Amino acid sequence: MKVHFKIKRFNPEKDKKPYWGEYDVEADESDRVLDALQTVKWDIDGTLNFRRSCAHGICGSDAMRINGRNALACKLLIRDAVQGGKITIEPILGLPVIKDLIVDMEPFFAHYRTVMPFLINNTTPGERERLQSPEDRERYDDSTKCILCACCTTSCPSFWARGDYVGPAAIVQAHRFIFDSRDQGAAERLKVLGEPDGVWRCRTVFNCTDVCPRDIQVTRVIGEVKAALITGKID
Amino acid sequence: MLRSRTVPRRGWNLEFVMWVFTRVSGAAMLILGALGMIGALIMGARTQMDLATLMRWTFFPNPNHVVNSNIPDINLGWVSLYWRILQTLIVFFGVSHGFNGLRVVMDDYIHHDAVRKVLRVVILVLWIAVMAVALYIIITS
Repeated sequence: MKVHFKIKRFNPEKDKKPYWGEYDVEADESDRVLDALQTVKWDIDGTLNFRRSCAHGICGSDAMRINGRNALACKLLIRDAVQGGKITIEPILGLPVIKDLIVDMEPFFAHYRTVMPFLINNTTPGERERLQSPEDRERYDDSTKCILCACCTTSCPSFWARGDYVGPAAIVQAHRFIFDSRDQGAAERLKVLGEPDGVWRCRTVFNCTDVCPRDIQVTRVIGEVKAALITGKID
Repeated sequence: MLRSRTVPRRGWNLEFVMWVFTRVSGAAMLILGALGMIGALIMGARTQMDLATLMRWTFFPNPNHVVNSNIPDINLGWVSLYWRILQTLIVFFGVSHGFNGLRVVMDDYIHHDAVRKVLRVVILVLWIAVMAVALYIIITS
């Protein structure tokens, strides 16, 4: 099938403002959007820029706004994306565009670092690993699935309006450790998330949950962090 | 079995307090609206009022707002302590909820600290002024 692609292009070295590049691509309906983008780059216009790495929905590099909705280009099939023979692709919103579909992820990772996304436990482990019951492991299973693609954070209106907001992805990462029974850094993380630019900026819009390519219940996760802040209990 | 842990509860800050208030006031307005409607129905709305009048009395039963009413004893029957307390609460929760919404929108879109501080004061002054006018009307009507 022939698909008409409309891709937002911007090269800061020569463009004053972004413009739409339009390309017709012959694609199979079971192809992924990423395949079509690669066809554009390899066969039609080599100047098109986008990120991709594993191309299998694991690395999270190719998050982009496809027909107005954040998704991983490597997970979305042409038949699911195409609307009236057309697919519109833009860079994810809320982060500075470096070139075409590539955005500067540093503000996103800066928020990620603020929640201390690593195990904090100052006790000496036993001879082997720190043990944990299957139930305790299950407690934070959902938030371990995050691949830091930024689909959630860059679909969040609170983040669009205010880049200082820590964002859903960082909260999911904090949740992964706060609810880990082996971790001892919950109080420090909750301190960060209780600040004015922490979880209270979440307006429960659910965009994050809708677009998460890993099907994480992001809004629920954020709600659990809010509950921990309010009650002081982690259970 | 899941092991429950506790952490020191965080101190309150404006964002947290207003996040809780937004939810509490939203629920309160629904409950107060229902109470107003029930009160209006018990006090005669069933037989004397159409839907529009019922709504007006439910949410702001002020005789000065009733024009061309064909209810003869409207100034006597409805302006009671019940309505004054109910309407004071509805106005407080409604106005505060709305002005806090304005503050949130302003916080989201104004990124200059000094401008934001000025606008916060403006919103606070407007909130006080609107509350004062509303209370004056409720108490003196």
